[in-house]
Amino acid sequence: MRLPHVVAAVVLLAAGGASARDADPWWQSFQLHGFADQALVYTSENRWFGDSPDLSFDFTEIGLNASVRPLPNLLLAGQVLSRRAGDMYDGSPVLDYGLLDLTLASSAARRLGLRLGRMKNPLGLYNETRDVPFTRPGIFLPQVVYFDRVRNLVLSTDGAMLYGELYTDAGNLALTLGSGRSVIDENVEWAYLSRDFDGDVEPDNNTWLASLWYTTQAERLKLGLSGATLRIAFDPDMGSPFTLEPGTTELIYGIASFQYNAADWTLSAEYVLEPLEWRDYGPALPDQDATGEGWYLQGTYRLRRNLELMLRYEEGFGDADDRSGRRLETRTGGLLPRHAGFSKILTAGVRWDINAQWMLRAEYAYNDGTFILSGRENPDYRDQQRYWNLFSLQAAFRF
Amino acid sequence: MASDVRQPRPRRCLRPALMIWLALIVADAEALEMIANAALECQSLTGNQARLFFIMRLRQCPDGSPVKVFVLPDDHELHAAFAKTVLGLFPYQLRRVWDRQVYSGTGQAPETLESEREMIERIGSTPGAIGYAGRVPDNSGIKLLEVR
Repeated sequence: MRLPHVVAAVVLLAAGGASARDADPWWQSFQLHGFADQALVYTSENRWFGDSPDLSFDFTEIGLNASVRPLPNLLLAGQVLSRRAGDMYDGSPVLDYGLLDLTLASSAARRLGLRLGRMKNPLGLYNETRDVPFTRPGIFLPQVVYFDRVRNLVLSTDGAMLYGELYTDAGNLALTLGSGRSVIDENVEWAYLSRDFDGDVEPDNNTWLASLWYTTQAERLKLGLSGATLRIAFDPDMGSPFTLEPGTTELIYGIASFQYNAADWTLSAEYVLEPLEWRDYGPALPDQDATGEGWYLQGTYRLRRNLELMLRYEEGFGDADDRSGRRLETRTGGLLPRHAGFSKILTAGVRWDINAQWMLRAEYAYNDGTFILSGRENPDYRDQQRYWNLFSLQAAFRF
Repeated sequence: MASDVRQPRPRRCLRPALMIWLALIVADAEALEMIANAALECQSLTGNQARLFFIMRLRQCPDGSPVKVFVLPDDHELHAAFAKTVLGLFPYQLRRVWDRQVYSGTGQAPETLESEREMIERIGSTPGAIGYAGRVPDNSGIKLLEVR
């Protein structure tokens, strides 16, 4: 079935279920929301979101979204995002999501629905709204789980997702299953092939996604398992003097999530496991396997309704079997130092919601290791410094 | 010029604080009611149904008639009290749920009104509207929605 046929079928299906008692005209359901933020980033060593050792302003996010319910069980929504993030993103506007959401069944006991289009992947506590500063726990997300250097590895999918929710006295269960084409870019190549070779990386097959969440009725406790599979293929430029052979990288990205919400504080923890396989790239990148791993524990404390403190500790490893990075150093003949194989980060931050529209944040992070750094921003791995400090300020607006 | 009309500062600070404190006591003592447009089909809700309406997961009454949700700003006393006592949620949790839906395209946010008076006016004039008030207003367009 072609896309127009799918859309026509969905609209007909939705119209069939529409209630004649629909009170408000449909266009009154139209909503427009947006956000914009600007950060200042300073690091003692290493580049992070631009020329941070000299104070970088290269972290800007602007988003604008619209949604409308033409029929009671049909939602159309889309968001355009412009994101400037050092050498990783230049701010060109992209379609962040654009989808139709059809509710197939809904009651106080359950909900079943289908989403089609470009959707944010429901992975972990934060992926769906990872670029919206108000929904993040800090200026930067815990990098060992939500890498900014390969932000859109599992960011969004062009395809379909089926979701089901059960509401019971013992709590709520939500299951989402999805498939489609992963929306990736050249940062993925930098992260998984260590540099930008002559050629392109593309998704090689359909990505599969699943997430399962349990929450107590009032969402005090939240437990989740979510994951995605992805295979990317490298298509070398013909006639390039030095590039890789047409190989593939296959990975699974799985997250276990925990959150507890109390009146004044929230405790969150997540663990990510990422088995990776590199195949057929030729002698320059021999076949190999690794298991990326990361976890964090994060507490936020609300001093007042609009003033929040955050403390987080996280650890991440390029390979769980090589947490010291020793094998990485040996295997690359010293090209990649040991500390490129891990990151251990302690972060403290403060958030002040001045009013419903404006928010200010300040954050400090002490870093041991350079695993989270972008090779695109720090192409000479031997220059990367193991110990480094990160200071940042951010102002954000929304409507 | 202004120096000769100096007043003892502590008292000036204390008075608003005292008034806020008194207002809080009054707001606490006041009954909190979930209200709806008089034409809404639902007569009563379970706590879970009420919560599902306000987190925008449920949008219709059991008979299929659509529901429209109105709320007051996050920092409004009545909003905080309603969220906690009736829905069992902290205001920051509601905001998080709405933000996630609005900024991922998987849902919409309720309409935020500025005052209790505006809430009462809009619910009285909007078919399918639900919201809350300190007490059920004397308005023929509005009925009490009992949360069991």
